[in-house]
Amino acid sequence: MAQTRRFELAISPHVGSPQTTRKIMFDVVIALLPALAAATWFFGPGALLLVALSTATAVGVEYICLKFMKRPVSFAFDGSAVVTGILLAYNVPPGVPWWLPVLGSAFAIAVGKQAFGGLGHNIVNPALLGRAFLMASFPILMTAGWAAPESWRTGEDCGWDTNAIVQEELAILPGADAISGATPLNVLKQTFDLDESSRTALAEGETEVAAELEARAVSTRSALSSSGTYANLFLGRRGGCIGETSVLLLLIGAVYLFARGVLEPRLPLSYLGAVAVFAWIFGGSGWFDGDPLFHVLAGGVVLGGFFMVSDMVTTPVTPKGRIIFGIGAGLITMIIRRWGGYPEGCSYSILLMNLVTPLIDRFTKPKVFGEVKSNG
Amino acid sequence: MTKPSTFRGGTHPPGHKDLSSGSPIVRLPAPEVVTVPLCQHLGAPSKPVVTKGDRVVRGQEIGAQNGFISLPTHSPVNGTVKDIKDLPMPHRRSGPAVVIETESEDGGCVFEPWSDHASHSPAEIIDRIKQAGVCGMGGASFPTYVKLSPPPDKTIDTLIINGVECEPYLTADHRLMLENPSDMILGMEMLAYALGVERCMIGIEVNKPDAIELLESMGVSVVPLKVSYPQGAEKQLIDATVGREVPAGGLPMDVGVVVQNVGTAAAVACAVRDGMPSMRRIVTVTGLGVASPGNFEACVGTPFSDLIEAAGGYSGDVERLISGGPMMGMALFTDGVPVTKGTSGVLALEPGEVREVSEGPCIRCGKCVDVCPIRLTPSIIATAAEYERWTIARDFGALNCMACGTCSYVCPSGRYLVHYIKRAQDAIRAMGTGKEA
Ligand code: SF4
Ligand code: SF4
Repeated sequence: MAQTRRFELAISPHVGSPQTTRKIMFDVVIALLPALAAATWFFGPGALLLVALSTATAVGVEYICLKFMKRPVSFAFDGSAVVTGILLAYNVPPGVPWWLPVLGSAFAIAVGKQAFGGLGHNIVNPALLGRAFLMASFPILMTAGWAAPESWRTGEDCGWDTNAIVQEELAILPGADAISGATPLNVLKQTFDLDESSRTALAEGETEVAAELEARAVSTRSALSSSGTYANLFLGRRGGCIGETSVLLLLIGAVYLFARGVLEPRLPLSYLGAVAVFAWIFGGSGWFDGDPLFHVLAGGVVLGGFFMVSDMVTTPVTPKGRIIFGIGAGLITMIIRRWGGYPEGCSYSILLMNLVTPLIDRFTKPKVFGEVKSNG
Repeated sequence: MTKPSTFRGGTHPPGHKDLSSGSPIVRLPAPEVVTVPLCQHLGAPSKPVVTKGDRVVRGQEIGAQNGFISLPTHSPVNGTVKDIKDLPMPHRRSGPAVVIETESEDGGCVFEPWSDHASHSPAEIIDRIKQAGVCGMGGASFPTYVKLSPPPDKTIDTLIINGVECEPYLTADHRLMLENPSDMILGMEMLAYALGVERCMIGIEVNKPDAIELLESMGVSVVPLKVSYPQGAEKQLIDATVGREVPAGGLPMDVGVVVQNVGTAAAVACAVRDGMPSMRRIVTVTGLGVASPGNFEACVGTPFSDLIEAAGGYSGDVERLISGGPMMGMALFTDGVPVTKGTSGVLALEPGEVREVSEGPCIRCGKCVDVCPIRLTPSIIATAAEYERWTIARDFGALNCMACGTCSYVCPSGRYLVHYIKRAQDAIRAMGTGKEA
């Protein structure tokens, strides 16, 4: 009989798939990079710098928090802080001072993530919580820091034709000329205000003024729904937050994630689908006359759909729950866009849905194998 | 060929079957000393009926059946009983075993050989299968005769032979189907006869095209199955082959099906036709940690170290020794444990083959939910178990988990999901409020 040998014990299974949390996080970082190129192209190196500062802050603050709480500091380098840092910067306007994303990023990590117990334990998306914090604390900076695309290079105030038309149309509104490189969603929101003013004018019997206001609203909306606008939105020539500019480059990142098996399609598709459907139903001035394509391309829903609605930690794990989450976030996004106090509702909608994620998981518990038939 | 059938969920770990799938079965002689466990089957261990110093002959009953879910145990050799004591086991920490010094390994036909099983009643066949100590050879080692004796209110209409072998690395069943298909087919006919069913089929994953072709050419009804783990789990196999969903908490017989492994079918043939108790089995010895992986037919009680030696000995740095497959097999602390009727494989894995464990927090990626063949929510059950929230674990169906390990396999955070879920199961059962469905 051969000499017996001793071995280490371990729990089965003894093999594991090669995918790890760290690899997933770095895949997300890679998928976010094309959009960074777009941000740099359209908004200049300043945007790149903001992203870099935000990311460095996120990792730094995570490290300090872990150290402080005597937890393994290696978690700071698992890539999740990098993702949060990038996303926070992607959600601020390009024209903000450098300390704003730094502050937001620090808040996101310290309060949005580590206070809850770190990766996997946070209830809401840390980057979006950081952004909400900035919105609440610095509302002016967060809504006025828009830059016209490519203006940093061309020196022109606005390189976007449609925007110019819109500027003209809106000149009638008090204070409207202060909008420089406003986002397309701002413009849309203004047309709803025009509708409102028109109705007021009508009520006061000023038929002519009412008709003129209404005509401006209609022509502005048709300018927004033109193929030129679509192309600009798709390529990224628009005002907006740093990361949301180029739909094309965001999609390239999304395809990469999907190919790597990191992106689960239910969440983003149900979200974007819901945005499109609700946009059509009530995203225009009346009912069933909205422009789904404009609403999907404009603002942050593509960024949000593929990188924040799809955030694993803060969204449901059940297949049905994911679809419900996507539809719910899409509905809230469109309600805010149409009737809310802000032109864009993407990030708040996701935050709100994050809060009900545990509830969704509970109520969408999949039917266990054999349960259906045994009960029948 | 039509699209191979499958079940919902599952994953596809690398097979590594080519290490040993081309090696014909080598019959190993009995070692000088055999350590015959009395607890090879699921259920109560058999009661020893020999004492130290007794001479035993091959095939002689050395342990008597001890209850309904239990089986007798037979000596695989002629020799002398040296000792009866608790020893380390491959499938549990330790268990009672009879240590026999081998003199020779001939004879052994202790029952009357029945060349024509159809001239005996199904009850006689089932009794023979029990007397011969045949248990499931796919891994769970459930006494075969029990599965053949359904309560009168259950009507069985289908027999499924499990030739899936979905665990990576293992090739014992594959080689058996290639090298001894006639015994397997005969055993299948006997099982069908004992159950009184007409409809029988064999499920084989399409990564064994040679076996599928051979058995089809011999007139067996083969259901080709997609390569997906755990295709060979009973409930998944039944779903994939006949499209019936075994009720949660129920048994295959609840949907009129009995599943038996290919090795079990061959053992049945030996027991009925040759009058031989179940004393030998085919074991795949493989992994990069052995020099020349292969398939061996060894008698029960053969120490794993002998099998490793037969496979050329250890090569390189062995990180882990496993009894069974890498998904559900047990890690061993010693290679001094004996082969049992349920030992399908011995794996010596190098560091690169074994998953590196560094458990992280659940990032709620949902991969475990997508792959669970029972459609559980492993992440939530495991987290609930971590915080000892047993009712949540129960509500999410923890008791239905079959510990297949698919969820742990895919988890990017390396969470010990199966471990947590098993803990939850124990706690829920202890609470006594575990509703089964
Ligand atoms: S071990 Fe249990 S929970 Fe995990 S995949 Fe298998 S059945 Fe599902
Ligand atoms: S696979 Fe792991 S990390 Fe992903 S949800 Fe399941 S337990 Fe959590």
